Amino acid sequence: MSRRNRRGNTYVNNVRGPTSALTSFLNERGIRRANPAPAPRAPAPPQPLPPEPEPVEGQPSQEQVEDDQPAPTSSSFSTSQPTRTARLTRGRSVTSSTAAASSSNSTTRTQVEDDEDDDDDDDNGEEEEEEEKTLVPISVSVGTTHTRVTVTSSSSSTASSTKAAATAGDKAGPSKKRRKKACSDDSNDEDFNDITGYVSRSKFSHKGRMPQGSNKIEFCSRCRARFTVKAGSTPAVDEDDVGLLCPTCAGATAAPSAALKPKPAKRARRQQQQKAEIECQVPTLQDLCIQKIANCIEDVEAFGDISDISMDKICKIISRNRSLNTETVQLFLDSRHTDLSLYDCTDIAAPGLQNIAQFCPKLRSLRLKLCGRIDDSVMKYYAEHLTQLNSLSLIGPILITDAAYIKLFEAVGKRFERFELKHSARFSLKALEVLCEKCPNLTHLRLGDLDLMTDDWLELIANLTKLKSLRIRNPERERITTASVVKLIQAVGSGLEELELKGCVELEDSVLFDGIRPSCVRLECLDVAGCEEFTTEGVKTLFEDWTTNRSLTYINLGDCILLKDEALVAVTAHSGTTLQNLNIRGLDELTKEGLLTMVRCENLRTLDASWCRAMDDEVMGQLVAAAPKLNKVMVWGDHRLTECCPSRKGMKIVGREGDYIDLRYL
Amino acid sequence: MATSTSSESEYVTLESSDGFQFIIHREAAMLSGTIRNMLSSAGQFTESTEGVIHFRDIKAVILEKVCKFWYYKARHMNSVTEIPYFDIEPEYALETLMAADFLDSMSSFTWCEDALLVF
Repeated sequence: MSRRNRRGNTYVNNVRGPTSALTSFLNERGIRRANPAPAPRAPAPPQPLPPEPEPVEGQPSQEQVEDDQPAPTSSSFSTSQPTRTARLTRGRSVTSSTAAASSSNSTTRTQVEDDEDDDDDDDNGEEEEEEEKTLVPISVSVGTTHTRVTVTSSSSSTASSTKAAATAGDKAGPSKKRRKKACSDDSNDEDFNDITGYVSRSKFSHKGRMPQGSNKIEFCSRCRARFTVKAGSTPAVDEDDVGLLCPTCAGATAAPSAALKPKPAKRARRQQQQKAEIECQVPTLQDLCIQKIANCIEDVEAFGDISDISMDKICKIISRNRSLNTETVQLFLDSRHTDLSLYDCTDIAAPGLQNIAQFCPKLRSLRLKLCGRIDDSVMKYYAEHLTQLNSLSLIGPILITDAAYIKLFEAVGKRFERFELKHSARFSLKALEVLCEKCPNLTHLRLGDLDLMTDDWLELIANLTKLKSLRIRNPERERITTASVVKLIQAVGSGLEELELKGCVELEDSVLFDGIRPSCVRLECLDVAGCEEFTTEGVKTLFEDWTTNRSLTYINLGDCILLKDEALVAVTAHSGTTLQNLNIRGLDELTKEGLLTMVRCENLRTLDASWCRAMDDEVMGQLVAAAPKLNKVMVWGDHRLTECCPSRKGMKIVGREGDYIDLRYL
Repeated sequence: MATSTSSESEYVTLESSDGFQFIIHREAAMLSGTIRNMLSSAGQFTESTEGVIHFRDIKAVILEKVCKFWYYKARHMNSVTEIPYFDIEPEYALETLMAADFLDSMSSFTWCEDALLVF
């Protein structure tokens, strides 16, 4: 793409001879110019090597500069003795030399330009000056990072040109220099991207990314470096043998022509840049549609024929695009609706939220996510107008105060069956008291990330004897004790079908064998993810011979980091046949033998076995064979799974190393 | 119709739920993430070998709109001048939205759902 490419490439290719371990490692990995500044110095350490008579054909224009001899032909210096200068500047001189060699060897004018960015290389500048005192030419060549070698064939006097070269550092025509600098900045970045595939953060854009789907890794036939063949592009082919060439080597072969016509390349680059900018201007079809829907809200009378599922889907899409606002929300309001879920209410102002109750008076279930703008007056309005409401889910209602909750609970009273509240710092014991008192028919209670939650809350919840599902998630540290949780479970456990204690980090084993084991006879779903104190013994005691409970369908033991094989063995022995969803994420202690007991789970549908490092192809193979319904397996960080791990049509294996992920969607 | 044979063909055939076939340039179709994955994934899918893709959920009207959009995008992607507005009939906007969401990124689909669940 630019001369920089060629330079690095010639360094790698045309210098043969012993190299240091570091250099060969770097070459092998293809990390030649990953960081432009230190890279040229990296080869310096290998200097103790015997001074190699450089087998490069056309000799350094460097030495022309050094001796300040006018009108040298490139061949006349080819066998110069390895002077100290030559050795010191080996990396540099060679590179410039081959650039010269690659051009027509008649009359060559070499121009060494120093494009160094002052702000970039302050430290380099100092070293440079030091060296300048002793060895003049080095100062030019060691000008490091941004030194450029332009080769043009010309008929002008070579004497003047070499002089210009020698003093290029300060004298090279300022205007030209500036122009070069301007484009060198971006060209540097481009080169950088080319080789490493790394995109600087400031230039990164999701849109600009190439889809990685069909990128291939190939090895260069010339320098043996690994490189990526981007989707849709065809890599260059070596003419001598049929192998593929990495962009660097390919750039070298194409060098002479490029050197002769540097301008079109530049223009192309500029055009490319413009293209990239323009490309962003073509909107996506989704955006167009959503805009259309949002704009035409008066024209689109209602969703009419669209099923509730589709509507929910559209709502999800619109929420994801963050286009749900006071206007667009109107589309989802219809007097027929009994269920309504809005997934992102951030942009819906309080009046918009109030409209929900106005337009959908028959609502039974209302779920509002990210509803930070809902306030007391809206809640009051809901309490008065939603006369059939029995299920309410609020996530992130930061403005609602206790008084409004109390009013709502009083209004809803015995109708209330499900209540979910997450991320609220204001919901307090007082409101919960009213909830437990006025709404005795509550079957589902989900409280998560509530700052004020304490042991006292659990005592109150114990009065809700009709609970079928209880979820307590992420309480503040040291607010919830094991003893109170045990008490709560003993009180309400007999009815529970679902119990979640996710992120209750401080709970200890007695919750398992004193609370859950004797009480939760109907339990089907158990989620104790993140309860780090649970031990293998505790889980084993819970599940071994737990005859009062028939078996579970959902178990989440994620991040219970102490658990070992015995725990999983006990789990699968108890619930193996009915288990549909198992999460053993992060149980690093499990061994292959333990994982293999999962073959008992013949009804398994989803499995999260991320970070279980013992997971390998064999385990996966046996699982696939044993569980015909298994359709999703998460295997993040399971490095023993290979690309060839057994799978089945329709089964998703997520997070396998070696698979690509389209980062745009993460 | 003769285009539906080799995977290297210049055209691909898209078939809508009601049986209409749209034969469009491969490059245009490749603008869709989903189709790109279908046609260029490493595994040998029937779609990539035969160059015919059936969409069971997309009606012809919608698919036509989507195809038009790809050509619109392909044409204006590199243009420097102001690009014309791509109009979508309001009556089709919703269905087009769903189709577009599916076509732009099938691989992403589960991710979105997961992401929404995280809320």
